[in-house]
Amino acid sequence: MRYLLHRALHAVFLLLGVSLLTFLFSSLTPGNYFDEMRLNPQISPDTVAALRAQYQLDRPLPIRYLHWLSAVAHGELGFSFAYNTPVAPLLWVRARNTLLLTGTATLLAWLMALPLGVWSAARFGRAPDRVLSWATATLLVVPDLVLALCLLILAVRTGWFPTGGLVSVGFDELSPLHKFRDLISHMSLPVVALVLATLPMLVRHVRASVTEVLDAPFLRAARSHGIPDRKLLYQYALRAAANPLISLFGFSVGTLLSGSLLVEVIMSWPGLGPLLLEAILARDLYVVIGGVLLSMLFLVTGNLFADVLLYWADPRIRTTASAK
Amino acid sequence: MRQPRKLAKWLVVLVALHAIVAAAGFFAPYDPVEQDRQRPYLPPMRIHLMDAHGHLHLRPFFYPLKLREGSFDQYEENTATSVPLLFFRSGASYRLLGFVPARLHLFGATGARIYFLGSDAYGRDQLSRILYGGQVSLLAGLLGAGVTLLLGALVGMAAGYYGGWRDELLMRIAELFLALPWLYLLFALRAFLPLGVGPFDSFLLVVVVIGIVGWARPARLVRGVVLSVKERDFVRAARGFGASDFYLLRRHILPETASVLLTQAAILVPQFVLAEMTLSFLGLGVPEPLSSWGNLLATLQQYNVLVSCWWMYLPALAIVPFFLGYLRLASALQQRTVTYKIDEKNDWNPS
Amino acid sequence: MRKQRSFPRRCGITMSLLLACVSTIALPALGSPHPQQTNAKEELLSLPGEIGRSGGRLVISLRAEPKTLNPLTAADAPSREVIGAMQADLVHINRATQLTEPALAKSWKISPDGLQYTLTLRQGLRFSDGHPLDADDVLFTFRVYLDESVHATQRDLLIVGGKPITVRKLDAQTLVFQFAKPYGVEERLFDGLAILPRHLLEKPYQEGKLGQLWTTATPPSEWAGLGPFRLKEYVAGQKLVLERNPYYWKTDTKGNRLPYLDELVFLFVPSADVQVLRFQSGETDIISRLGAENFSVLGRQQRGYSMSDAGPGLEYNFLFFNLNDLGEKSSADFALKQKWFRDVRFRQAISAAVDREAIVRLVYQGRGAALWSPVTLGNRRWVNSSIPHSPRSLDRARALLKEAGFSWSTASNGESSLLDSKGKPVEFSILTSSSNADRTKMATLLQDDLKQLGIHVQVIPLEFRSLIDRVTQTKEYDSCLLGLASFDADPNSDLNVWLSSGGTHLWNPSQAHPSTAWEAEIDRLMEQQLSTPGYDQRKKLYDRVLEILAENQPMIFLASPDILVGAKNSVANLHPAVLEPYVLWNVEQLYFRNSAEIAGR
Repeated sequence: MRYLLHRALHAVFLLLGVSLLTFLFSSLTPGNYFDEMRLNPQISPDTVAALRAQYQLDRPLPIRYLHWLSAVAHGELGFSFAYNTPVAPLLWVRARNTLLLTGTATLLAWLMALPLGVWSAARFGRAPDRVLSWATATLLVVPDLVLALCLLILAVRTGWFPTGGLVSVGFDELSPLHKFRDLISHMSLPVVALVLATLPMLVRHVRASVTEVLDAPFLRAARSHGIPDRKLLYQYALRAAANPLISLFGFSVGTLLSGSLLVEVIMSWPGLGPLLLEAILARDLYVVIGGVLLSMLFLVTGNLFADVLLYWADPRIRTTASAK
Repeated sequence: MRQPRKLAKWLVVLVALHAIVAAAGFFAPYDPVEQDRQRPYLPPMRIHLMDAHGHLHLRPFFYPLKLREGSFDQYEENTATSVPLLFFRSGASYRLLGFVPARLHLFGATGARIYFLGSDAYGRDQLSRILYGGQVSLLAGLLGAGVTLLLGALVGMAAGYYGGWRDELLMRIAELFLALPWLYLLFALRAFLPLGVGPFDSFLLVVVVIGIVGWARPARLVRGVVLSVKERDFVRAARGFGASDFYLLRRHILPETASVLLTQAAILVPQFVLAEMTLSFLGLGVPEPLSSWGNLLATLQQYNVLVSCWWMYLPALAIVPFFLGYLRLASALQQRTVTYKIDEKNDWNPS
Repeated sequence: MRKQRSFPRRCGITMSLLLACVSTIALPALGSPHPQQTNAKEELLSLPGEIGRSGGRLVISLRAEPKTLNPLTAADAPSREVIGAMQADLVHINRATQLTEPALAKSWKISPDGLQYTLTLRQGLRFSDGHPLDADDVLFTFRVYLDESVHATQRDLLIVGGKPITVRKLDAQTLVFQFAKPYGVEERLFDGLAILPRHLLEKPYQEGKLGQLWTTATPPSEWAGLGPFRLKEYVAGQKLVLERNPYYWKTDTKGNRLPYLDELVFLFVPSADVQVLRFQSGETDIISRLGAENFSVLGRQQRGYSMSDAGPGLEYNFLFFNLNDLGEKSSADFALKQKWFRDVRFRQAISAAVDREAIVRLVYQGRGAALWSPVTLGNRRWVNSSIPHSPRSLDRARALLKEAGFSWSTASNGESSLLDSKGKPVEFSILTSSSNADRTKMATLLQDDLKQLGIHVQVIPLEFRSLIDRVTQTKEYDSCLLGLASFDADPNSDLNVWLSSGGTHLWNPSQAHPSTAWEAEIDRLMEQQLSTPGYDQRKKLYDRVLEILAENQPMIFLASPDILVGAKNSVANLHPAVLEPYVLWNVEQLYFRNSAEIAGR
């Protein structure tokens, strides 16, 4: 419990530090959101200056930071100049879309990686293992940038999949079943891209950890007791090999929000990534800070989650922790 | 002993690949910024041995392409003139490795330009652009990895060796950097820095940005090594003999970290090349007229290129052998090194 | 049993008879979903043109999300486009003829001295929520526009002769607008000035909250307008849905109340290329302002849709040099460069060396026009045909440079470079927006053109906001390639570009006094045409302005793209115009040709 509290406090400090850094960076950058209006012959420079003052963009940095901090204390995350709405609801909607995508992809990837990795480790060195190794190596060397582009061109050329977006235009009028089908068809290509991007690494790690464990004496003893292979692999070997995998899972959870930026941009999925990119380029300061903080929160939570899981799953850690 | 042979094999492959890119001037027929206004988005030219009349030629040749009547983007072969392909000819001047002036090219042609891999929107030869682009991307990756490893090694050694509050402070800062989503940090950092500098300065900026983002992980690994090596007998003995801190670090501790750093290098370089490609793809990397693999792929975001210019996808293939080489090298190196199991659960390196 | 059977049967017959009677009376009243009866007191505008069929949902994509639905604060193009379909103005410019027509005001009179405009509103009109419209709404609207604390973007448009215009009401249907000086633009002024509902906005205005209202997430009940469509639904990050305004005040010649469409959906897509993807896959019905390359590719695959080229638009692209008076702030290096830029012969030489035909051919695939003045062919009434269209001539450029004291040196590798009178090689950089591929291409072509003169040019694509900051604030740049699009085919729409005190007088903005004689002359001419009524006189004055611009070349005009649009074949009555909004300007008259389209949507 103390440990958790300690980590939570740690996380809060991290968040504060990051927010300060981002604020600092933004003051280095030339230009602000309202610069676009300067080029409009219809709007006079005075109007632009007045708008800047209205949004307090002409105040010094520390004051703006303190204002923002007090807003956060009230549960708001600032105001988006570009979207003309408070930042928090904007972020939730986009984050929800991203989580839908990455959650599904991560789940699928792990569900596929565990059996594949274990199966491959069990047949270490033999033909099936080599084929899988070769397949993962091939997938690994293809950057996810290229994967996403290829899938996009597939969609455009064949017309089997939508070329982007969350749902079709007439979504609201569809029956629940059709709504579900529509969503799935829009999700399929981005999910495939994300799974293909993360699966090879996961498979390799599962394989590596399980292989390390397979030679252990306790497993050989268990096999000589007549325990069937599958039970052996999943219930004994996997549990023993779980330590690094749980950390990896924590890392997967942590990158739920930030790992899909490229895929979302290329497939025009309305998630957090494109919003952040747009906000960075548009100097929409509070959206950038809010977004970075949100994904940092996920990263930190993911690590914490992994730690808790490790604590629960691995008796060795429990004893070392209590021995401390 | 299969490991050293495997390691050597992949090292040779990588060196060969890098040599090709380093000697881009030789392998590329043209200057990558040379425009040909009359031939935008030209598809790759076909090399023929048999001409239209059915005669076999010993020397391969090609037909120059010209625009179809009334069209702005459809080309057809002009079978009236055939242009032979010449090897080892003298062409546009370039600087090998940046300082040796040379004029020799692997192949070329007189009378018309040979476009092996097609041309881009300005009529620039894609093959040349891919080769020179490789120089930019790979150099960005290598230099970025260098910066990261240098920073990481310095910080890790300082933290591990001195311990105490310095260690605590440095590791806290490292955690801060580790906790940040690196892609977002990369963009924010790049976008917030001056965007209006020349191509070369922009390139350096990208390298520095990439390097700064990733120092935390190597730092932790190095710190782990240093912590374990610090207490070894030979180090204590040397200290007993009155060796200074600097001497100890340089002479005894640093060599031990070498293998960790090398492995990290093999892992980081492809990641950083990918980071440069991502930055350039989204417009925050290397600007015109420099080409980089990310730059070249960025044109695929345009609908007309995505749909009708298949040769613009080729830069994607260029990366694959390099990534494969680095991947193999990294796994060969990892099999050789002894991993120092300090604080294992926090030192997770998923690469 | 028998009793039970007979009773229901008799009941059944009576019921059906009753039902038949009721239906013959009630059905016409419930009738078609589009109420045809018009209130006899309503004075509606009847539009000539094709008669269409009711029904259907039109889907069009927007390159970015609209920031707001509030006409007072909307400055970006997507917001303007959406608002255009939801609001109405007193006098409207017909985008096809580029002339004014009566809109909410059925007629107007301009006093002989040009200082008073008397407008008569149509009677009996109602807002989209049923509330009646009268002169008080107009009064309220202009009060809000002119209120300094509201910071409406329209305020600057309503300052004539240095003083804001005043409005007063003569009676419930008549208003008088008072100007301090005669205004050359005349009633075109009123185009785009949406009339706001007093019954919804007066209270927030008094509380000072007007600028925050009417965001895209506004509940439809809190919004009202006079346009053909009214707000129905907004789904964040995806779409904005508008539905037909049943109280719209226009009809077709047969008396059917417009608009024909039931719904207008704006789909948000992240970029222009995704716009093309969606159109090609059939998700959207219309695509507006395509790039030339995408236009050709789509044109080759025409499956169920057709592409059309509406001719040259009003956008003009140009190169300009930094002619700001920076005083001590400029480095010695830049001061030297500025000496070259300030020499008019240098600028004329650059203009002579530019290959405009190549730009039109390579950047716009021939779908554009070379420009030598800011007024494009699309602006039919104001084009000055006496401006010379001098073809590219490197010889003339070299002669001009020689005259200005420049010379050439030949380096060892055969390349010649231009040297100024002091022997320094001529080099400078061109800034462009990294997000605009067309202009970056133009800059790269220019770079090559100028290389042939021996000038070494560096193209620096810069992120747009940094670019604007450089050009208007810090003024740290050599030259810049930008484009502007006039929002109206009238010289006044670009007033701030030509006036030396203007904020968009890009080469030297916001000057206290004009720094050169020709800029002073332009100022004088523009001020004069501002208050000259009558097209002919204004044209003469503006022609002179264009001539001065051509002689002095503060902006080297390059090219202008055509307006390229595409639409599904089932969309009828589409007449793309070269003024914004290019395809939706007659959205009330658009309809779907086949009933299959209507039923399926």
